[in-house]
Amino acid sequence: MIQTLLAPLQYEYMLKAILVSAVIGGVCAFLSCFITLKGWSLMGDALSHSVVPGVAVAYYAGWPFAAGAFITGLLAAVGMGFVKTKTRLREDAVIGVVFTAFFALGLLLISLFPSQVDLRSIIFGNILGISNSDIAQVLIISAVTVLVLGLKWRDFLLFCFDPTQARALGLNTTVLHFVLLTLLSATAVAALQTVGACLVVAMLVTPGATAYLLTDRFSRMIAIAVTLGVVTSLVGAYASYFFDGSTGGCIVTLQSLLFVAALVWAPKHGLRAARARRQAAALAAAPV
Amino acid sequence: MNDASPSLMSVDVAGVTVSYANGNVALRDASFRLTGGSICALVGVNGSGKSTLFKAIMGLLKPAAGTVAIAGLPVPVALKRNLVAYVPQAEEVDWTFPVSVWDVVLMGRYGYMNFLRIPRAEDRRIAEESLVRVGMLEFRDRQIGELSGGQRKRVFLARALAQRSRVILLDEPFTGVDVNTETAIIALLRELRSAGHIMIVSTHNLGSVPEFCDNVVLINRTVLAAGPTAEVFTQENLLRTFGGVLRHFRFDESTVQKHDGREVTLLTDDERPLVFGKGGHVEYRERAGREDVVRKRSEDEEDL
Repeated sequence: MIQTLLAPLQYEYMLKAILVSAVIGGVCAFLSCFITLKGWSLMGDALSHSVVPGVAVAYYAGWPFAAGAFITGLLAAVGMGFVKTKTRLREDAVIGVVFTAFFALGLLLISLFPSQVDLRSIIFGNILGISNSDIAQVLIISAVTVLVLGLKWRDFLLFCFDPTQARALGLNTTVLHFVLLTLLSATAVAALQTVGACLVVAMLVTPGATAYLLTDRFSRMIAIAVTLGVVTSLVGAYASYFFDGSTGGCIVTLQSLLFVAALVWAPKHGLRAARARRQAAALAAAPV
Repeated sequence: MNDASPSLMSVDVAGVTVSYANGNVALRDASFRLTGGSICALVGVNGSGKSTLFKAIMGLLKPAAGTVAIAGLPVPVALKRNLVAYVPQAEEVDWTFPVSVWDVVLMGRYGYMNFLRIPRAEDRRIAEESLVRVGMLEFRDRQIGELSGGQRKRVFLARALAQRSRVILLDEPFTGVDVNTETAIIALLRELRSAGHIMIVSTHNLGSVPEFCDNVVLINRTVLAAGPTAEVFTQENLLRTFGGVLRHFRFDESTVQKHDGREVTLLTDDERPLVFGKGGHVEYRERAGREDVVRKRSEDEEDL
């Protein structure tokens, strides 16, 4: 029995996959607290798709994948900002148009110039086959993200909560905006490795959204989200060995299950708690 | 540092024109000057440029022409010195955000904190003092969404106090607020005025303006009039400010009877006033078409 449970850990590629997934899961979860509160969930989805042409070009040109991804991610973000300020289109339309344009370009490039970069591994992730140089890039991105968020989380919190007050205090909100966007692109690239472009947005939203249902304090929200992110990634990557299923699928399914659990049973903001409050109110209102 | 500065506080808006990216000019050639201490009402219809003016004073919008100076300093410098605080409208705040009353008040101290924004004992003391001043200390651990409308307003006022700014912008501070809170806020603003602060209050609450504001700025895409309330807050100016939008109720045209012939006008800017006459009955705006009501009422009165 124990032999079976330990089986995945005998393989170096499994160990690497589990540990790297946990790191990425934790970092994405940390960032997800800011993304959900800022209302940038759709933006996260958009950026994770927009990095695809960059990854493709980076592989042909022999650059680190992160560099290419990063450039197209930021180009997309700037493009969205530009179209939004210059037209009367609503933001969701702008995001929809711009990110699909980038994603389509990425698909086209990969299909026209097939190389060692496999379309499947970009779209669905391939953490089991991650190379050491890719691991190094993921770790650098994670370290920088944790450092920046860890040092300046109070500024980002204020920026998400009340940008006007941030400005009135003399904080440079333009810089905060772009740093957060940059971190979002960078972690989207890192998460691409584990769960693929399609599911990155789950890693960048679900842990934060779940934690938000469970607490009214931001510091606790971060702690809960990061714990969820790390644990679901560890367990998901580990479990994928037994199911022989997609790692990304395992991780995100786990996260979604926990979200549903929080939605129903969260002590204060869950559905059951809301029902109990309604019943209590009805009882109090009823004539004795 | 600004806190102890003895210099006279001032807000100078000179020839400010603000246009948006789509080419709409929200404010044209707006000018006025305020010196501390003062409570100044900013009065105008929705869309007259009140928020634009606030944004220009806070440096959120860069004027296409003209300048804003606070204590003689350009806006970015004034902001760095914590000279300007802002109390937002209730609709602008996300009340479900996972922050407590205490977190919000401490945000007023960010400008004084170090790179990591870790509050020092001094910051905590001032935040606590500010909460005491608005009577909200006992609510410090509440999530902000769990407060009533008046309490929410007080928390953001406490944040402005914690910031120790000498210019405070208040956007519709009396909307959705109970009478006790309104009285408490006005009392607090008066104290701050005595201490030399400048408060600019955007409000629809015309009736309260002469009661607590010493200055008024009337605005409709530009500054129509600005100065001491007694000189500026006149019927003529208000009609000019609100154009046809202002609803008025002239007693001599109304069903109100036995007015002594002198004109009394009741003004309210966004809602039509409901007027009850001496007998406790509803008064109508137009006497014409209600002759029977007028006749019946005067008969009733003679019977008494």
